[in-house]
Amino acid sequence: MSLAIETRDLRYRPGNGFQISNLSMHVPRGALYGFLGPNGAGKTTTIRLLLGLLPAQAGRITVLGQTMPAEHVAVMSRTGYVPERPHVYPTLTVDEALRLHAAYHDRWDGAWAAELLRQFGLVGDRKVGALSKGETGKLMMLLALAQQPELLVLDEPTDGLDPVVRRDVLEALLEYVSTHQATVLISSHLVHELERICDWIAVMDRGAMIAELPMQEFKAGIKRLSVYNAPDQLTDVPFTVLRRTSFNGSGEQWLVRGWTDDMRDFFPAAGSTLREVIDLDLEDGFVELLRSFREVK
Amino acid sequence: MFDRIDPRSPTPLYAQISTRLRVAIAAGELCPGDALPSVRQLAAQLRINPATVVQAYRDLEGEGLVATRHGAGTFVLDVTAQRRDVERTNEARRLVRELLAEAGRLGISAPDLRAAIDQELNGGED
Repeated sequence: MSLAIETRDLRYRPGNGFQISNLSMHVPRGALYGFLGPNGAGKTTTIRLLLGLLPAQAGRITVLGQTMPAEHVAVMSRTGYVPERPHVYPTLTVDEALRLHAAYHDRWDGAWAAELLRQFGLVGDRKVGALSKGETGKLMMLLALAQQPELLVLDEPTDGLDPVVRRDVLEALLEYVSTHQATVLISSHLVHELERICDWIAVMDRGAMIAELPMQEFKAGIKRLSVYNAPDQLTDVPFTVLRRTSFNGSGEQWLVRGWTDDMRDFFPAAGSTLREVIDLDLEDGFVELLRSFREVK
Repeated sequence: MFDRIDPRSPTPLYAQISTRLRVAIAAGELCPGDALPSVRQLAAQLRINPATVVQAYRDLEGEGLVATRHGAGTFVLDVTAQRRDVERTNEARRLVRELLAEAGRLGISAPDLRAAIDQELNGGED
């Protein structure tokens, strides 16, 4: 599998508190890679490390086959970046912002930029500083897309925007991806949105990567089981039990990871009964995974 | 046509899309020669990954229900009446499996379920 982004044993510690340690990340080429984590997990810091905006203290970063931060200029010319906070000069007009951005990007698609401007309902002679939050969000996505990048790094591109704007922005993104085979790394708290569009999912908490796998595997593998007469001591369990909680007498709820349907046989062999297998959606799976990770710590 | 696509369901999105199209072809909602929406259109409309649409179309192509003409799009093939019957039967069984699973969860016995189905078929009167 060819990777668009790869990090190995990445370490970053700005002070005495928060740190990123031994972070390994693998974003396959062509993936729509959803990057989840609670506030303060280190997602934005990780993104800034990937793009050479912060210096890592140890580890290796490869982006689009080139070493970061050494080849930062070459990488950034192939990468569209929507930062958490907009980085366009507020005193420029929208048209000026476009021209400035175009000057830095060889592959800038002026015709498509004009088309998106119209689609997004943005007015060329308005000052960037006078745009609404939604208009700013659309402008940021427009700038990132029109440079025709091979990689898009989007840090909460639609969080805090209204549903109509979110739809416009995502449609433009998906249209680009379906015609250009680009790789997308997208961080967001809008879990249901990621669930629709992503085929890979990564979960970060407290500076560590706690899951990274194809979306379908993530969703298929994490289940809540309703179990009766379970033994206290578990041996040779074919899946990972993240948590056990008991309810009404001999009944227990198990939260498990790495589940496949052929593992049902485990229960009669252990003298217990599997009553039900409950599917979790991405949000439930994400919350449960985080909770169990924190309990272990 | 894709109103009931549910990204939160454990059934993968590509399978939901291909199932929906299979049913539409079986029911004659889509006729031979009809074009499916382009990958780009459908991905943007449903706000899903284009790769998901590609996979759904590829599955239908493998089953001989549609054909992709390079550069032109994906079209519904002429399907025999017998084949449509098979697809309809498959869909009916899928619906029943769902119903049975849900009834099982709620502890409803097979005779009770059968009685309820008969009652509904007879106009829902007691």
